Amino acid sequence: MAQKVLNILIASVGGQGGLTLSRVIAAAAVAEGLRVRTGETLGMAQRFGSVMSFVRVGEEVTSPLFGHGEADVFIGMELIEALRRIPYVRKGGVAVVALTLKPPVSSSLGIAPRPSKEELVKELRRALPSIRFVDAVEEAKKIGNYRAANMVLLGYVNGLVGMLKDESVEAGISAILRPKAVETSIRAYYRGKELAKE
Amino acid sequence: MGKIGRVDVLRAPPGTRAALLGNEAIARGVIESGISVVTGYPGTPSSEVIMTLHAYRAHELGIYVEWAVNERVAFEIAYGASIGGARSMVTMKAPGANVAADPIVSAAYGGVEGGLVIYIADDPGPHTTQTEQDTRWFARMAGLPMISPVDPDEARKFVRAAIELSEALKLPVILRSTTRVSHTVGDVVFGEAVEPVRYRGFKKDVKRFVRAGMSWNRERHAWLLGQLRKAEELAVEKGLVSSEGSGDYCVVCEGVACGHLREALKSLGESVADRVKVARLGMVHPIPREWVRRELGGCRKVLVLEELSPYLEISLKAVLHSTDTEVMGMEEGLIPSVGELSPAHVAAALNSVLGRSGGSVEAEAQDKAPPRPPPLCPGCPHRNSFIALRFGLAKAGYSPTKVPVFGDIGCYALGVSPPLEAIWTEHSMGASISMAAGLKIGGFEGPVVAVIGDSTFYHAGLQSLIEAVHKRVDLLVMILDNDIIAMTGHQSTPAWARTETGREARPVRIEEVVKAIGVEHVYVVDPYDIDKAIEVVKEAVKKPGVKVVIMKHPCALWEARVKGVKAVYRVVPEKCTSCMACVRVTGCPALYVAEDGKVRIMEEDCTGCGLCARYCPYDAIIRVERG
Repeated sequence: MAQKVLNILIASVGGQGGLTLSRVIAAAAVAEGLRVRTGETLGMAQRFGSVMSFVRVGEEVTSPLFGHGEADVFIGMELIEALRRIPYVRKGGVAVVALTLKPPVSSSLGIAPRPSKEELVKELRRALPSIRFVDAVEEAKKIGNYRAANMVLLGYVNGLVGMLKDESVEAGISAILRPKAVETSIRAYYRGKELAKE
Repeated sequence: MGKIGRVDVLRAPPGTRAALLGNEAIARGVIESGISVVTGYPGTPSSEVIMTLHAYRAHELGIYVEWAVNERVAFEIAYGASIGGARSMVTMKAPGANVAADPIVSAAYGGVEGGLVIYIADDPGPHTTQTEQDTRWFARMAGLPMISPVDPDEARKFVRAAIELSEALKLPVILRSTTRVSHTVGDVVFGEAVEPVRYRGFKKDVKRFVRAGMSWNRERHAWLLGQLRKAEELAVEKGLVSSEGSGDYCVVCEGVACGHLREALKSLGESVADRVKVARLGMVHPIPREWVRRELGGCRKVLVLEELSPYLEISLKAVLHSTDTEVMGMEEGLIPSVGELSPAHVAAALNSVLGRSGGSVEAEAQDKAPPRPPPLCPGCPHRNSFIALRFGLAKAGYSPTKVPVFGDIGCYALGVSPPLEAIWTEHSMGASISMAAGLKIGGFEGPVVAVIGDSTFYHAGLQSLIEAVHKRVDLLVMILDNDIIAMTGHQSTPAWARTETGREARPVRIEEVVKAIGVEHVYVVDPYDIDKAIEVVKEAVKKPGVKVVIMKHPCALWEARVKGVKAVYRVVPEKCTSCMACVRVTGCPALYVAEDGKVRIMEEDCTGCGLCARYCPYDAIIRVERG
């Protein structure tokens, strides 16, 4: 990877594996000899809340945070959360979003808007024409581990950007995930990479 | 939390590089400092220190590591260990320092023998804390040294530094961090492990350890002030303060603000970086005054970068008051006094001080997405308890929306959101019972309810209950007993027969405790049996005096993890009339409205509690066994 710092933003719903994804990227970066800072807000949003992870990777990184318009890479694990955080992507940034919709309780109750998948996809395309969508959960299910949707997305993004070496990602996965999830997660990662080429 | 795979955080050799969360790095720091007693009470963002020590079985390395019933008890255990020569650590979030304030302040007079580290995590934002409390003032109030790391690797090193400082000064030392250090993953390089230092002797010395209003407390006060002067010298000797660069524009930073500053200087380019001298205060109390005068006395302007309150700015203004140096920061509005600092804020403040353009931070664009306040999880038994409360009160003839419900600290506070809108207050640990009692004592005539979780009850609710029982206050107390400290990531409670380390424990049962206090009307019911729970509330609320309903069902997330999910629920679209009863009664996040306007269930999120089916008037929700 070049000398510059890569800013990665992960938008997810608590429980989807967004934090695990940020840990895997961080572990992969360190396996590659790079430095890393992530900014997580754990706790309240542990389950079903809105979760945002900042990940910064490079040869010299000292702050875990960045602002709107500064993400080089954007990974959305859910459409509404992707829309909430899309202003973080910089011009020319790369964004990959899972075609997963988890409406918040406020939408189901009718006290907040209830956008459809199509509307959200359209809105996201308007915000960033180059955005890519992938049915990550479906792909992960085919591999036999629906929780590995995060690794499908990582593979997809890495296929587009080439930010980390495959062996570093494998090291990151085996460092962070439970042993029994490692094999399917690695397969999910490579499946994501393949999809990026299509 | 999963293990860091091939890297054993506690046993990996020196020189190992790993990506660790700040709190995991602090757990490694425990191993590198010879600490033998670690205790605390869970609180975000501090909990992962002890959780990491548990996950990697620190007890097998000769370290006592257990949660305590609350922060003051935790501190007193660590303090007792420490005056016997053992090296110890206690961990807590910022409000926990308030709970432990009494013994911490007295410990500054008694002092320690074995090093004692008080780890306190502040939360600018605040992300998961009641207030944006700045614990640095607490160090000054107590008269204790406080050090504050910039990142996870320094957090690891500062555990060792805190122990050394503590033993050199014979004072407890506060290791203070913030969310962006505790919950940041950074690259960490391991140092040497040190054998745990246990009991080394305890001599009777009443002048040190008896605080009963004796004249010798004045001597101890004088001793403390002398130790703090020594601390100022040690801060310089041990490199806990440092400076780099030169110029008559100076910037002082602390904690994560130093990381933001480095990036901001890089982005502003050499022309700015070359004009700026940077001073880093790793020790924030006491302020090393001589060093500050030497390093900053020649500066024309000093910009102070910090979060939560202008603690450093005010301190530096006092030290530099007789010089021509102009100190500025939060008080002048150059950086925000609410919420956390970002690299953009730092760059804007630098530009403003240097008289360059680019001095403002744009407000973040309007959020277009529907809001997602954290809900109670699918299957959460607290949801059932709140529904039982509402319907039980109604059946007893009260208007549920007119009965004040005092909440407490824990997951169940999330019941504040629609559709449950179940609580009126959430204040501080244990306050539900005493505040509800206060409303009655103040003259409120209708029924009042206090809702408190099991762990919060053990932590501080017990004394409130004693008070309410003793004064014969009319009060319904609902103890939501999910047998775990859920919100902070599933820690043990005093009800457990075996702790995380496998230690055999004597379970302290809430029902027995409540009866022993003298509560006459005690009910225990499983809120998953919703109709029975409603009847119990209906009966209990009519009884005189304090009555306690223990709603007993394990945390749904924990239960699903331990037992697995055997069945889920599914909507039969042909039967669903879109009446929305299921959604409006439960507010379960596994329910959603599909594009045909009918309800569906996200089966991977459903834990099979069946509450939605119970409230479907059309039997449109069916149980499906999982293969």
